[in-house]
Amino acid sequence: MLEVRDIRKIYNPGDVTEICVFDGFSLAVPDGEFLSIVGSNGSGKTSLLNLICGSIRQDGGTILVGGEPVDRQKDYVRARRIGRVYQNPALGTCPQMTILENLSLAEGKGRPFGLSFGVRRGRIEYYRDLLRDLGLGLEDKLSVKVGSLSGGQRQALALLMATMTPIDFLILDEHTAALDPHTAETIMLLTDRLVREKRLTAMMVTHNLRYAVEYGSRLIMLDKGRVVFDCAGEEKKALKTEDVLGLFNRISVECGN
Amino acid sequence: MKNQTKKILSLLAAAILLLASAALVSCQKSLPVIGINQYAQHPSLDNCRTGFLAGLAEAGLTEGKDFTVDVQNAGADDNLNAQIASTFASKSAALMVGIATPSAMACFNAAEEKDIPVVFIAVTDPAAASLTEGNVTGTSDRLPVSAQLELIRKLQPDAKTIGILYTLSEPNSVSAIAEYKEKAPSYGFTIEAVGVAAQSEVPLAADSLIAKKVDCFSNLTDNGVVDVLDSILEKTNAAGIPVYGSEVEQVKKGCVASAGIDYYKLGIQTGKLAAKILRGEAKASDLPFESVTEYEIYLNEAACGELNVSVPADVAASAVKADA
Amino acid sequence: MLDVLVSALTQGLIYAILCYGLLISYKILDFPDLTVDGSFPLGAAVTAVLITNGVHPLLTLPIAMLAGALAGLATGLIHVCLKVRDLLAGIITMTALFSIDLKIAGSNLPIPRGTDTVFTAPFLDRLFGPVSLSLKKLILSCVIALAFKFLLDLYFKTKSGMLLRATGDNSVLVTSLAQSEGKMKILGLVLSNSLVALCGAVVCQEQRSFSSTMGTGQMVLGLASVIIGLTVFKKLSFVKLTTAALVGSILYKLCIQAAILAGLDPSLLKLITAILFLAILAVGSLERRKGGKARA
Repeated sequence: MLEVRDIRKIYNPGDVTEICVFDGFSLAVPDGEFLSIVGSNGSGKTSLLNLICGSIRQDGGTILVGGEPVDRQKDYVRARRIGRVYQNPALGTCPQMTILENLSLAEGKGRPFGLSFGVRRGRIEYYRDLLRDLGLGLEDKLSVKVGSLSGGQRQALALLMATMTPIDFLILDEHTAALDPHTAETIMLLTDRLVREKRLTAMMVTHNLRYAVEYGSRLIMLDKGRVVFDCAGEEKKALKTEDVLGLFNRISVECGN
Repeated sequence: MKNQTKKILSLLAAAILLLASAALVSCQKSLPVIGINQYAQHPSLDNCRTGFLAGLAEAGLTEGKDFTVDVQNAGADDNLNAQIASTFASKSAALMVGIATPSAMACFNAAEEKDIPVVFIAVTDPAAASLTEGNVTGTSDRLPVSAQLELIRKLQPDAKTIGILYTLSEPNSVSAIAEYKEKAPSYGFTIEAVGVAAQSEVPLAADSLIAKKVDCFSNLTDNGVVDVLDSILEKTNAAGIPVYGSEVEQVKKGCVASAGIDYYKLGIQTGKLAAKILRGEAKASDLPFESVTEYEIYLNEAACGELNVSVPADVAASAVKADA
Repeated sequence: MLDVLVSALTQGLIYAILCYGLLISYKILDFPDLTVDGSFPLGAAVTAVLITNGVHPLLTLPIAMLAGALAGLATGLIHVCLKVRDLLAGIITMTALFSIDLKIAGSNLPIPRGTDTVFTAPFLDRLFGPVSLSLKKLILSCVIALAFKFLLDLYFKTKSGMLLRATGDNSVLVTSLAQSEGKMKILGLVLSNSLVALCGAVVCQEQRSFSSTMGTGQMVLGLASVIIGLTVFKKLSFVKLTTAALVGSILYKLCIQAAILAGLDPSLLKLITAILFLAILAVGSLERRKGGKARA
């Protein structure tokens, strides 16, 4: 269970560029939920993810994970229980290192990185199986540097790495936005499969309304730091992309966009 | 991939060839080579070098007939200084000459294996630089501190404090300051010494000395300070404070006077020392280093006049005039 | 001729240790670390004082490394905890070290000929038998340079080493792996500066003197060597970074040696170094543009 309670966040306070993103924002994400978040630019989607991960700090309110406040924890401490995939495939992997080394790093997440060998021979078959499951032919490229892979391959690898160790939440930050439609579809299917198989609680920010409607168990729409639409369960299953699009356009017009 | 390896190999080969040809060119002559390692580009050090060659000539050795010289300047770069010295040693120079302390030390260290004799010029404190034991000799440019203090007393009978600027990183200056402080009381002076870590701080330090109302400045052979002497003189002249130099070049620039060393003569003295070694008349290890015993008094009469420093007749008579 | 090569090779091998240090800070952490100009003479100062006080020359090397590690720690803490920019953090430590070096050793400190250094210590004679000093210097510097190369290669394969490489490669990932990026940067700087100080200590013993100005320009020298090495081996992915640094260091010293032998004006030497440096960088970036592969 993730709870965001009464959050306030102001960028550049006291400056002419002052922007209030959230003022009294609250949201609860129960375990096992796959939440899609949509909203126009500047509605606070990415800020919300950054606040949860600790990349930025709130000016008021509190964030609880499993009932415990995490406000005092640094971003890398929170990362122990959170997997995150970014829009830019380059952010989830190390380009100068091989696939094998990247996977070895990911498997060591959250534990001390000591002086034992980073790559364990005994795990290679296991990695190969994981890569085979991706269906991208990466299982034969273990010693290839990640920098020479395509964006889609890198994003698939990033997704795999983010979910390799047990985590409480998976955070997907427009993770298909930088990919071509075909690759995006593949990654989206893979995401859905991983979330189901590992029974992950996930939060996905996306601009693709169709993905938001087709995948996940709950959908919310943000506008100016408020939840303006929230649907789950049977209602969500009946939801059509056109309905959300209509709502989206109406709100955008109200905003004068 | 293979192409790349080839490229790299050829690059390496080219570097080695270049080195080989350069070495061959420099090794062709069979005359004994004197390797001169001068630490920096500096008028006093240049005088040492020209004096040294003149000294060899005075001793009857001719360049091109009895020896050849390989002059290198380290440009005050410690890395280059070490590498120049080791290059001389690798080329088996007959004699290595280090001008100024760092170069002398580098030469002596590089000469260790082949036991090449080393002759140094302008090392203020050879003992502190470990240049007294082994196949090494030379000349020290220890400042005539007593003579300088005596000179200041004669020109400024009422003076009480002497200001001295120095750079912390120059060992010669640190030991000279100690000597000044030891000897000043017997001439009725107190010393105000201001040390700086970098040359850029010298003007500030000069201002602070002027603000402390010192009666005069006295210079050491401190490169960091001497290099910016002109800007110091501008300030002191404006404040009406005379500056005493440590050698003739400084007096020519506008210091009132100096009981100082003539580096050209120091060079000649060293050249004669080196000639003995080259001829095989003596070993460097058997020759103790020499210090300058006679000092000249240099006088800049124009500067004295401007600053109302009255020169007693006996000083004026014995001094060498060194107006610009 | 052989002697000249041997001496240039020895210099290159000794300075390879400095290049390993810069490899970590510049290439792996992407941190322009000017601490180097202060930690290099720091290692020299420590070793000079200890040796002249009768400490075994070998023992002074780890102590010098420890001193360098502290210097790196200082820069790291200034950068990570006080959020001072990387370049400035290094400059602050370097400036402070100038005074500290002077306090430790005084302005200059020679190691007299009678005092043993690692290059003249009796244990070498037992190991190598009676060989000439320049050969001993070559062998020992070769042993040290290769030993640290293999140690570093080994370290880069450990978990900690892999995480360090990841820190420079993609710092976001390090945070995602629930590791503190700041701690890794500090670790890298500690490692890098301990190597730099070790190089300073070996150089000091080799040339038997410490001078407070010996650190000036070491960062640029090391950087030039590392970049030469990396450029030469750019297309060969199987060549390890440490090998590139080692070869770069030797090539750099060979070039300088050639310049000295050719009787080049020393006042022009730095300019020529700069031009060489620029040429290498320009050729590198031109090739990249031609290749058209713009990959991070």
